[in-house]
Amino acid sequence: MILPLPAIDVRSVTKLYRRWGRKRSIGTFKSALLSGRPGRALAPDEAIPAVTDVSFAIAPGETVGVVGPNGSGKSTLLKLLAGILRPTAGSVAVRGRLAALLELGAGFHPEISGRENIEINGLLLGLSRKEIARRFDEIVRFAELEEFLDAPVKTYSSGMAVRLGFSIAAHCDPDVLLVDEVLAVGDEAFSRRSLEKFAEFERAGKTLLLVSHDLGLIAERCHRAIWLDRGRVAADGPAGETVTLYRERVAEREAERRAQPGTAAPAERALRVGSGAATVEAVRLLDSEGRPSARLLSGAPARLVMEVEAPERITDFVFGFAISTVAGATVFGSNTTIDGFEAAELSAAGTVILDIPSLDLAPGVYSVDAAIHARDGSPYDYRRDVLRFEVSAERAAAGVWSPPHRRWSFSEGIRWKS
Amino acid sequence: MSRVWSPLQRAWRQRALVLALARRELLARYRGGVLGFLWSLLNPLLLLLVYATVFRLVFTPRSDVRPYALFLFAGVLCWGFVSSALLDAAETFRANGPLLRKTTVTPEVFPAVATGARFAHLVLALPVLAGAIAIAAVTGRVRPDAAALQFPLVLVLLAAMVLGLALVVSSLSVHFGDVRDLLANLLTLTFFLTPILYPIEAAPGRLRLLFWLNPFAPFFVAVHESAFFFRPVPASAWVGMIVWTILALAAGAIVFERLRDSIAEEA
Repeated sequence: MILPLPAIDVRSVTKLYRRWGRKRSIGTFKSALLSGRPGRALAPDEAIPAVTDVSFAIAPGETVGVVGPNGSGKSTLLKLLAGILRPTAGSVAVRGRLAALLELGAGFHPEISGRENIEINGLLLGLSRKEIARRFDEIVRFAELEEFLDAPVKTYSSGMAVRLGFSIAAHCDPDVLLVDEVLAVGDEAFSRRSLEKFAEFERAGKTLLLVSHDLGLIAERCHRAIWLDRGRVAADGPAGETVTLYRERVAEREAERRAQPGTAAPAERALRVGSGAATVEAVRLLDSEGRPSARLLSGAPARLVMEVEAPERITDFVFGFAISTVAGATVFGSNTTIDGFEAAELSAAGTVILDIPSLDLAPGVYSVDAAIHARDGSPYDYRRDVLRFEVSAERAAAGVWSPPHRRWSFSEGIRWKS
Repeated sequence: MSRVWSPLQRAWRQRALVLALARRELLARYRGGVLGFLWSLLNPLLLLLVYATVFRLVFTPRSDVRPYALFLFAGVLCWGFVSSALLDAAETFRANGPLLRKTTVTPEVFPAVATGARFAHLVLALPVLAGAIAIAAVTGRVRPDAAALQFPLVLVLLAAMVLGLALVVSSLSVHFGDVRDLLANLLTLTFFLTPILYPIEAAPGRLRLLFWLNPFAPFFVAVHESAFFFRPVPASAWVGMIVWTILALAAGAIVFERLRDSIAEEA
């Protein structure tokens, strides 16, 4: 079997952005000449890596998403692929005609007509004059700008300019199309039309590389996704998997930022009240295999464990757990009274276990409170935010609750693409 | 060896885009104005009128350069092209930053556009020069002949040299904020050191050698010979023009290639 040559081949690419320090962003040529070493003034003071040792190959016909936080090197990568920037090390090869949609209408000049702008934009995208002439009518029709063709572009609404920019790019018939977040602009109708156009590309066997913060779009539209993190490939695989991994990491970072998950929150942050007649010594969260864990899968079993101690024998006590979001909304709370236990006696130390057969929480970071108190509610030991954990899921969901067995049904007349 | 010229090769491959952008530049410039495209003719016409008046009424020019207004006109038109093209080139990457950062356009295109648009400007003003020569010829003050046919060739060489310098100036201006200011001063100085206001014969003999160090000198000698005196351009001027053109293009290509990678980052 002969494998097709990759449409995009990136090999150990590193891109350093040069930074000229020394109290200036722009030097003066005069001072460079006076220094006697004009070449020296052109040497950067430091180099900042934007992309580090990135390698991947994309086969013709693949639709690939690129995800990652701001500053992770996504746009730099696209510019390297487009040839706008040259890699500091490594090599980039793109086979076939390439079109880069980094900004719709980037080449428009406001003073001249739509007609003239179509020609210049087409040339900028690598079309010849003949090719532009052949596609001209279709470009205008798709953009719905027949009546405004001879008006200067400065008289266009932003929506009109965006439509025209997209129409030109979409009709330049590239083999490889690079798209950077352009779907974020424009109204809903435009977004739909551009998505249709992408689907058309896909059917025609074209290669599409899509950078977006819209993870749903990536998961839905792409076969494969590459997650860039601080300029390196953190994951590269089926779009759904990569997006899930990325979401988990975002949640994890968020949790790290707020507190160390899985351990007791720092003392000054933990709120602990109570008389001390009985104390919560330790709280643990165990996963389905009984190991302490700060990361659980949505829908998996979980076990909350509380080690308690009473210096003297007591007969009035209630054990309780509560789970809330880090924002503070309680999503679950129960105690031994609510669940029908009547206290008889607690002496010395003991262990309280609450088993949750299916932790049906949406992906996110959650906080646990644990308490021992009297039946009337007066606390012996109430420990707020004693533990944090993170829930991840194969399927995304908004909110806090993620029912495990959701099923949609539709009446006749509603159809879906398989 | 051929790699030295790669910036020029890239600009040449994109010539359709260079032409379209230069045309856009001209259209955009004149469409805003009330007089539209006529403005490009009116501007040199006014210039000619001012020279004709001032030098008839105020100064008495040397006898060998009469009518002095006509003598001045050809040189000043060409110098206008040189200085405006280079000043435009010093700003072109800043002005076209979005295009450089957001499209796959090759950066060589922009200094070429700056040169091309200003050259088109010059060419559009040539009918006014031709008209002025015709009037002077009818009144018997000049006798144009076939020597005028050298003039277009001189202009083409001048445009090629300016393109080379535009490549240097544009790529340096990305890194240094003061290139345009330095250039403006340098151009003013050069204007007076170049035989534009005076024929080269007016320069003292011992200084004349120095003129060959001024890249513009042979061009303006040739402009005057071909478009005013209607004499064959001396071989030394042809050699000077060709050598300086090749040097300027080579310098432009080398400097541009050296700084090219950082243009899209810095612009």
